[in-house]
Amino acid sequence: MVERTIDQEVTQLIAEIIEMDPAEINPDAHLVEDLGMDSMMALEILASIEKKFRIKVSEEDLPKITTVNRAIELAKKYVK
Amino acid sequence: MSSETVTTKTLDFEQIKRIIPQRFPFLMLDRVIIAEPGVRVVGIKNLTGNEWFYQGHFPKRAVTPGAMLCEAVAQTGIVFFHLQQPAAQDVTYLLGSIKIRFLHPVWPGDQLRIEVTPIRLMRDAGLLTGTVMVGERVVARGEFGLSAKPNSEL
Repeated sequence: MVERTIDQEVTQLIAEIIEMDPAEINPDAHLVEDLGMDSMMALEILASIEKKFRIKVSEEDLPKITTVNRAIELAKKYVK
Repeated sequence: MSSETVTTKTLDFEQIKRIIPQRFPFLMLDRVIIAEPGVRVVGIKNLTGNEWFYQGHFPKRAVTPGAMLCEAVAQTGIVFFHLQQPAAQDVTYLLGSIKIRFLHPVWPGDQLRIEVTPIRLMRDAGLLTGTVMVGERVVARGEFGLSAKPNSEL
């Protein structure tokens, strides 16, 4: 239940920042190459995930946000 | 961060010009009145009826363009970033995004008080908040992303 919520929340946050309908995002699509994310959007996604789940993600983990699924994995790693 | 660990200082116009690359007619910061590295920067810009942009915006009624308020916020952000990463040399600061709400018109004669605080900082980029006040009134506020790109990568 908690995990489903994280999946949905992260997908929604990313969709808002890259300006896409969450239903249209393939969770394994590459955010940069397929969905047009740039480095500033990546930082916005990171900040929004941190704010939503009240976590602090290491700067070294930022490059790991390559797909929606990787972002979800990252959020789950930090959310207790 | 406790007040004991924060160094507050001010910057005059010449010191600001040593930090930000903008020059006439694009300097939108006259003085920094509060500079707390990593915490906040507060700058001042005095607008006179002589500003170049009032010629065209608008000929019959001078109103400060929102784009120039964005520029004032971005320049204050560069000062913030520089104080955070003073060792960064030979970089160009690029505004990556800005989401801003303009709440009240700004007129010739107004003094802008621009405050920038961090949301999330990285080594070479940051998300920041910007608040612009005239007197006690907030005239614009928003969030913006700034990155420092080495000139060799541009």
